[in-house]
Amino acid sequence: MKAARRIVIVDDHGIFRAGLRSELGDSIEVVGEAGTVGEAIPLVVETDPDVVLLDVHLPDGGGQAVIAGVSPERPGVRFLALSVSDAAEDVIAVVRAGARGYVTKTISGEELTEAIHRVADGDAVFSPRLAGFVLDAFSSGEPIRDAELDELTAREREVLRLIARGYRYKEIASSLHLSVKTVETHVSSVLRKLQLSSRHELTRWAAERRMI
Amino acid sequence: MVDVAAIPARDRANRVVAGVAAGIGRALDVDPTLVRLLFALLALAGGAGIALYLAAALLMPDELGKRPGRMRFAAGMTLLLLTAVAVLNGLGLPWFVQVSAALAAGGALLLWRKQQRVLGGVLVATAAVVLFTGGGRGDSGVGGPLLTPAAFAGGLLLVVGPWLWRTAQDRAAERTRRIRSEERAEVAARVHDSVLQTLALIQREAADPKRVEQLSRRQERELRSWLFPEGELFKDDTFVGAIGNAAAEVEELHGVRVEVASAGNAPLDDDTRAVVLAAREAMGNAARFSGAEEISVYAEADGDGISVFVRDRGTGFDRTAVPPERRGLSESIEGRMTRRGGSATISSTPGQGTEVELSLPRKAP
Repeated sequence: MKAARRIVIVDDHGIFRAGLRSELGDSIEVVGEAGTVGEAIPLVVETDPDVVLLDVHLPDGGGQAVIAGVSPERPGVRFLALSVSDAAEDVIAVVRAGARGYVTKTISGEELTEAIHRVADGDAVFSPRLAGFVLDAFSSGEPIRDAELDELTAREREVLRLIARGYRYKEIASSLHLSVKTVETHVSSVLRKLQLSSRHELTRWAAERRMI
Repeated sequence: MVDVAAIPARDRANRVVAGVAAGIGRALDVDPTLVRLLFALLALAGGAGIALYLAAALLMPDELGKRPGRMRFAAGMTLLLLTAVAVLNGLGLPWFVQVSAALAAGGALLLWRKQQRVLGGVLVATAAVVLFTGGGRGDSGVGGPLLTPAAFAGGLLLVVGPWLWRTAQDRAAERTRRIRSEERAEVAARVHDSVLQTLALIQREAADPKRVEQLSRRQERELRSWLFPEGELFKDDTFVGAIGNAAAEVEELHGVRVEVASAGNAPLDDDTRAVVLAAREAMGNAARFSGAEEISVYAEADGDGISVFVRDRGTGFDRTAVPPERRGLSESIEGRMTRRGGSATISSTPGQGTEVELSLPRKAP
């Protein structure tokens, strides 16, 4: 069994936090809870957890405000964004701010536990929704500027499409005849592109989504 | 519990004099000694406490709840009134304020006890008029002569207002009741025409399982199209919006979770509507037959066309074992797609789940 991961839950619904606590397995230790950006930053800095479960929307700001407040002091803390069903641009904003993944709140306790371990190990976690958003954001027909960062490889697209279709990493691996480790590498690479790309399409895409 | 609206009974078991203080203390849930102290203090104010105590002793029912007789009630009220007048006089208030206060007190009492509401309202209204007009002496009233019409209007409102309010409330309640009963009548008619007829037919043809299945399937389809009209499904005007609505519908109908992811979007036309309907059928099948608690749906639209993937991790099935009269798969899914120039691919492994892929290439303009 893996070592217990220390996590902080940041969500403005107390009932939801309590529900999460009871659902997470023994391999997860909840060392703190916060309901606002103002509470979360000092708590995370003080407890220095492995992973922060971060609600995309908080009463006093977005989840990215927590990341911006914590990262300078605790660069080792990793964030996993969690939400009910948010607008694509809000989810992308939290991921671009530094979250290593995004899952919806309907996720089962078992899957969430797995996702926390994956994020703690430095890998990325994409829910089907996020995979769809990313494919959407990278799929415009504009000419390539910085090919290295601005385009997804064909393999990365395949992996993302399978995630969007609800496949787990293991199923993707067997379907594409890859190892699970390779699948993880592809997802991490997509995450890096999503976070570092200065690609105009991302901003324009977000702006267009907002108008719909 | 403290019931403020009820006049407390005297408590002779714990009495010192007549049980008045004990009764009030019990009714208000305070120490009777405090009540006694209050009476004693008031007694120092020109004997008002003594007069009030006597009036209370006359007016309060005894511990058996027996109310005072008519004579006793009159005596008590007179004593109370005289005391009030004496106190107000002692405070040096002009006569019209005293009259106004007496009228207001009487009216308020009637309103409070829910008896003679109109009379109570008139008394309170008159009290307001007297107070503001200074008893008809022009400018000596509290508000001056200009306020007289306002005082009358205010008084009138106090009398008529509650009645108007209640009438409006009654009418709203009546309207709601009528709408509800009309709705119920419509549902009853619908159930009678469809479900009850079908059940009667099923009872008669119970010996023929094939016929029973056919009947119930037809009924299910009919009922479902009534519960979820297609207008609802397509209210959002886009392909992805309609897929989301279909997913919500299946969630509600079958109690399973349907996770929807999407990339891109497309406008609704006859072709995309057909894909949404086929996808809804695939989600419904997964919900009914796979036993899985969660269904994953991925909808994508790009330059090449649109696709929908409906996946579950349920029991899976063997296509060759599906009886040919089960039309859901061949007709509602495959037929729908091929008629529009698209295709449906179903991959299922018993024990591992099923994935239905629907795709419709973009037509050349």
